[in-house]
Amino acid sequence: MDSDIQPPTRAGRIQTNWILAAVSATFLVMAGLFVANLWGRTAATPKVPLVDVQFLDPAPWRQTYTDLAKAKEDLSDFDCYGCHEKKKPPVIEYDEKHNIVLPKEHSNLKLGHGSHNRNNVCYNCHNEQNLVTFQARDGRELKFQDSTALCGSCHGPTYRDWEAGVHGRTSGYWDRSRGELQRLNCANCHDPHSPRIPTRAPAPPPRGLHEPATGPTPTAH
Amino acid sequence: MAALPPDSFHPDKTSDRAMTRRTFLRSTAALSGLTALAASLSPLRELGDFTSTEEFLQKYYKELNPDEMAKVLKRIERDVERQYGIRPHVRDLKPMDGVEFVYCLNLTRCIGCRKCVHACVAENNLSRSPEIQYIRVLKLPHGSLDVEKADHNYTTKQVPEKGFFYMPVQCQQCKNPPCVKVCPVNATWQESDGITVIDYDWCIGCRYCEAACPYWARRFNFAKPEVPKERVNPNMSYLGNRPRKQGVMEKCHFCIQRTRAGRYPACLEVCPVGARKFGNILDPESEVSYILREKRVFIQLKEEMGTSPRFFYYFEK
Ligand code: HEC
Ligand code: HEC
Ligand code: HEC
Ligand code: HEC
Repeated sequence: MDSDIQPPTRAGRIQTNWILAAVSATFLVMAGLFVANLWGRTAATPKVPLVDVQFLDPAPWRQTYTDLAKAKEDLSDFDCYGCHEKKKPPVIEYDEKHNIVLPKEHSNLKLGHGSHNRNNVCYNCHNEQNLVTFQARDGRELKFQDSTALCGSCHGPTYRDWEAGVHGRTSGYWDRSRGELQRLNCANCHDPHSPRIPTRAPAPPPRGLHEPATGPTPTAH
Repeated sequence: MAALPPDSFHPDKTSDRAMTRRTFLRSTAALSGLTALAASLSPLRELGDFTSTEEFLQKYYKELNPDEMAKVLKRIERDVERQYGIRPHVRDLKPMDGVEFVYCLNLTRCIGCRKCVHACVAENNLSRSPEIQYIRVLKLPHGSLDVEKADHNYTTKQVPEKGFFYMPVQCQQCKNPPCVKVCPVNATWQESDGITVIDYDWCIGCRYCEAACPYWARRFNFAKPEVPKERVNPNMSYLGNRPRKQGVMEKCHFCIQRTRAGRYPACLEVCPVGARKFGNILDPESEVSYILREKRVFIQLKEEMGTSPRFFYYFEK
């Protein structure tokens, strides 16, 4: 025993004991936490609500005459001679600004074809002499099913793109030896009377890893 | 030794006490050490649900012979059925001769509706929580192409917004893919039809590829992916949309399970404006050949990096 080692004072010993007790307690708490983590579940990632199925639906937003006929839906809007008389073509009414005025029977139509409504005149497309057909620019009389050819008679370049599958949408099989392709008609995407594509609500934006699962994601602007 | 007053210093007694303290400390240390070890191993509990020994010992995709592959596919079908209660059809579709895929996207048409994003999630069994998406739709002001400053979190009520255009970005299937070059274990490679694929059972999750990709196209499974049972797509392929596990990379593979069976990818099928075009560039009759022949302005994102993407953006008029 070395005599120059100072025996600790009583207070010093009590202090050491406290420190040791605190260290052990910390160890025990840590061990406890580890065990709890071991048997407890790992923190569950917040549930993300499933996206509305409307955003997964490949169906186009409009149905054409052909689609309606196939689905056996109400075609009374196309029964022109249910209301009009044969050999008496309806007269197009204009207001003083030379805009077409629609009767309430046709108030469901939204007009606006071309800049400055250049192509609103009904008989540019509908056949005056036989309302239940179209009259194409090249003189062909076309059935309601053939509206795409009608559009093509005025929109040549777009129609050529469409035939190549480049304008509009072609779905099904890219490999024609393995299956069929389907091509949407112009009127599946464009309302013939106001062909500009309307705006719509977008599907939800992505969620970051640590963003709350509920409530809107903050915008960047 | 004479008797000492009880409160005075007694070396023997102290060393005795020191021993007790030491053993006590040792045992607490050992206890916490053991629990820490157990805790560090605890993630293995979760592997239990999915990793079978067969899966753990599975060979590299390119080394599997057809018999072994057939067994592996059966094993995956069993695993998926056990986990999701749905019997999937898992195939290993090979690239076709004379086929090289190209994607064209018409930026004049795209309205930023994000339907492609979600159709892709559904088709490819992507994790809903944490959320993984292969496609990111960037919103950019007209006249700008600074993708680094784009907004992809837009929550406007209606799209498209005046003055902006939208640019969906996904894996560009580069001819010269930087991600493939950096993979230390060759778990990702380019196939003859141009699709860069990943062997999810070979990936070690180092995320080098994610860092190498200039298009932010690669996604990492930080947690166990969660796919709701009712939305599992049972049409699966080995290098495509079969369920992934925690700790591996994934990315767009041009819907390999559809496109190698002759069909169009899911993002194209759901596009309401027909902005997305896909096909075989080696076939002069395909839509993509027509577009590259007839249309003018093309953008290959970050072309200057020499990646040579198979994904072409274009404006019309
Ligand atoms: C529910 C009855 C009804 C049906 C069905 C109907 N119309 Fe009419 N339509 C009317 C009425 C009423 C008017 C206004 C009076 C008139 O001019 O005969 C009108 C007016 C018109 C006009 C003139 C528009 C204007 O600006 O005043 C045209 C053109 C026309 N119809 C075409 C058609 C065509 C083509 C069809 C079939 C695809 C059709 N209608 C089907 C009731 C109908
Ligand atoms: C009688 C000729 C004619 C027919 C038939 C025709 N269009 Fe048009 N269309 C036009 C004209 C003219 C414009 C205006 C072009 C302009 O302003 O630059 C136009 C413009 C458009 C536009 C551009 C958007 C707009 O409103 O400016 C779309 C889209 C369109 N037509 C779609 C169609 C569809 C779909 C059909 C078939 C249902 C069709 N068109 C049939 C003449 C026609
Ligand atoms: C650009 C060519 C075009 C012009 C101009 C046009 N229509 Fe049409 N219209 C069509 C086509 C194409 C359809 C059939 C669309 C389909 O298949 O869904 C149609 C359908 C209709 C229908 C029946 C279905 C419905 O949507 O209610 C009525 C009624 C009609 N048009 C009335 C009119 C009237 C009235 C005008 C003039 C104000 C007019 N159209 C101008 C092309 C045109
Ligand atoms: C898959 C949907 C779809 C189909 C099918 C479709 N279009 Fe379009 N079309 C669009 C979109 C989207 C635009 C972009 C303009 C807009 O936002 O209004 C457009 C634009 C146009 C324009 C304006 C000029 C241009 O190129 O921007 C014309 C003309 C047009 N379409 C005609 C047609 C014709 C004719 C057909 C049928 C042969 C057709 N479209 C089929 C979606 C479609």
